[in-house]
Amino acid sequence: MVCAKCQKLLKKTELATPNVKKKNEMYFGSPAGSAKSASKGSATLGNTGVGKSKLLSKSAKNPYAAYSSTCGGCTTKVDSGKKFCQRCAFKQNACAMCGGPAKELICKSCREHLSRRKYSAAAAAVAETPEPVSSIPPSTQASGPKQAYQLRAGVVLSRPPQLTRDLTPFEKAFFLYQRRLNERLALPFTRYFYFKKDTPADLEWKRKMKTRMTPARDIGVYNAYGKEGWNDEVLVGAKESETEEQIEALLKDVEAVSVGGAEGEAAKQESAIDRPMPRTTEADNLGDHKSLDRLLQRTLYLLVKNKEGRWTFPHDRIAGRENLHQTAERIIVQAGGVNMNTWVVGNAPIGHYNYDFQKTIVDLEKGVEELGERVFFMKARIMAGQANLETNKFGDIDFKWLAKEEVEESVTPRYWSAVRNMLAER
Amino acid sequence: MARRELAVATQSAAGGDLEPSSSSSAPLASDDALANYDPVAQARRRETELPASRYKFRPPKYYRGPLHPHQPPPPSDPSSRLFVPSPFTLPRLEQTYQSTIASDLMTLAYTHFPPGYRAPPKGPRLRPWEGPSPYYKNRPLRGPRGGDVLHLLKRPITFRNVPKLEGVTLHTMVPQAQDDSAHLHVAGMVLQAISNVRVTTHAARKSVAGFGLREGKFIAATATMKGEDMYHFLGKCIDVVLPRIKDWKGVRGSSGDSSGNISFGLSGESVALFPEVEVNYDMYPPRMIPGCHVTIHTSATNDRDARLLLSSIGIPFYGKQIN
Repeated sequence: MVCAKCQKLLKKTELATPNVKKKNEMYFGSPAGSAKSASKGSATLGNTGVGKSKLLSKSAKNPYAAYSSTCGGCTTKVDSGKKFCQRCAFKQNACAMCGGPAKELICKSCREHLSRRKYSAAAAAVAETPEPVSSIPPSTQASGPKQAYQLRAGVVLSRPPQLTRDLTPFEKAFFLYQRRLNERLALPFTRYFYFKKDTPADLEWKRKMKTRMTPARDIGVYNAYGKEGWNDEVLVGAKESETEEQIEALLKDVEAVSVGGAEGEAAKQESAIDRPMPRTTEADNLGDHKSLDRLLQRTLYLLVKNKEGRWTFPHDRIAGRENLHQTAERIIVQAGGVNMNTWVVGNAPIGHYNYDFQKTIVDLEKGVEELGERVFFMKARIMAGQANLETNKFGDIDFKWLAKEEVEESVTPRYWSAVRNMLAER
Repeated sequence: MARRELAVATQSAAGGDLEPSSSSSAPLASDDALANYDPVAQARRRETELPASRYKFRPPKYYRGPLHPHQPPPPSDPSSRLFVPSPFTLPRLEQTYQSTIASDLMTLAYTHFPPGYRAPPKGPRLRPWEGPSPYYKNRPLRGPRGGDVLHLLKRPITFRNVPKLEGVTLHTMVPQAQDDSAHLHVAGMVLQAISNVRVTTHAARKSVAGFGLREGKFIAATATMKGEDMYHFLGKCIDVVLPRIKDWKGVRGSSGDSSGNISFGLSGESVALFPEVEVNYDMYPPRMIPGCHVTIHTSATNDRDARLLLSSIGIPFYGKQIN
């Protein structure tokens, strides 16, 4: 936020602190510099080299002290010669450098663009080529209120998948086939590297090998080295490729070790082995759409039901000078309460939804006629917690955590066509 | 492979985007025929052996060029001499990357260019020699400004080039192996156990008196993992080994070769924490389990993106981050 007059000053390469000596002049052993500066009568005389005065106060020793300054509006330190920090300059609508009223304002990104240094070769090349004609038509000043769209931000708050997905029948069959091929092609299992000879573990291993005929524990009974090693494909209806069967086989293998002890201990040991947790939860069985413990293999999205009874992602107008990221963070708190640990991913939206009002809304105070609304969706992840609509600021009635295809059933077809491509398949 | 399962797979795929009609969706044989089908018994019953040409295919031992009538099958064919069975599983880390991490990285790294934007032209990375000297003619191009390292190009991340894991290299150097080769054997066994790939051993290229190295003596072993093995190794590393290392701060932020490959070290005690070593820890000679260097290769072209990827899969970084 710098006025056009000061902008020119910015572009000049003159030092902001012309009287301060360069770094090499400030240290002992730079005779050329110190001789020159002594004749000049510099501002920091007596502060350098052997002639440095130890009696001076701390602030007097600092050669830059005279050039640092504080913002006129707050206590922020600003660069020398500047009147306001950027924040106060915005508030007071003043130039940050001279403090005067900012008439010709230049936004931050434009200023960066203006002051960007171009390589001379590249700049020359640019100068030769004619500027491409902009295809964007110049905005015309209408006599009535300015026509515009409501700018809104939406939040696609999602819980990522917690479990690996179920394999397809083809994948199961393929993986089993590859494992059996591996048994055929791999070098034999080096038993003596894993089991000392004639120890109980070794005897146990031999016993198991006799039954399943292969070192691999989860490929069923299959002898890869025997005469019938070619019979590596399972028949129709065989259970060997099923994940549940393989888990059972692995558990049986572990349990068999513990049975080796006394008979009384066997039952105790068996119960000590942790079985894997079920892949479906209670919320799945109950069909509880509010729970975050459902559909653990899928991404779940938060949808809220608004006053009109429509299911949408939580959204709100962008207020004041907020950016999309800040708006998204605010919406999450105002819609779902503070009891959610969330992360808004990045600063850019992942999708947008346009909606034209049936009848335009005219705001005479601002002189704006609103034609419709544009919702830009920000991506967010929930790490912990749960949504709670008690403190909801938007008057939402209900919420749900839904997977992609359930979102399709809940929202309007028009809304769905706008949001479907930003939702993950899984 | 189970034939009925194939048929089921094609039926379920019909609901998705795949082509519904397929040659494998042919009707199954009758239940009676299925119940009576026993290929092993059938083979045993056979009195004379089938002619070898019916079931044996030997690919040519040597490749004799594209015009030779006897061409080897592709390496993915089980009858090929180069065939290596895989994959056996669908690793959890890979699924997490596909479902969660990749899309998040893309959103994080998105840079917006308004319509009609044209990137400002850049000078050539390698400059021609300009001047009156006749020796500048046909001279190889000058190196980049400010140094002689030609860094990889940094392209904006789009859906095509989201950084992903490409491979992991384990490296261990055991100078004691010069006097007692048992050290190198143990190092090789440990690396093979934790990585599931064969190791390559390396000899010292020249003598270094300071390190006590003698030229030509085998002192190091490496294992390079890709794909499924890599994902399993990283998964074990992140979920089992790294959390159990005492006082481990993370990977140093300045690690990396500035082209997207990041390394860290594991001590011998940490390597012993890998479940494969732990199950038969007693079988390794005492105090011979070596530490190793882990280099993670990513498709990122700078260290910043690589660090973003690695921290998203759960590898912590500490200290000043240098790109």
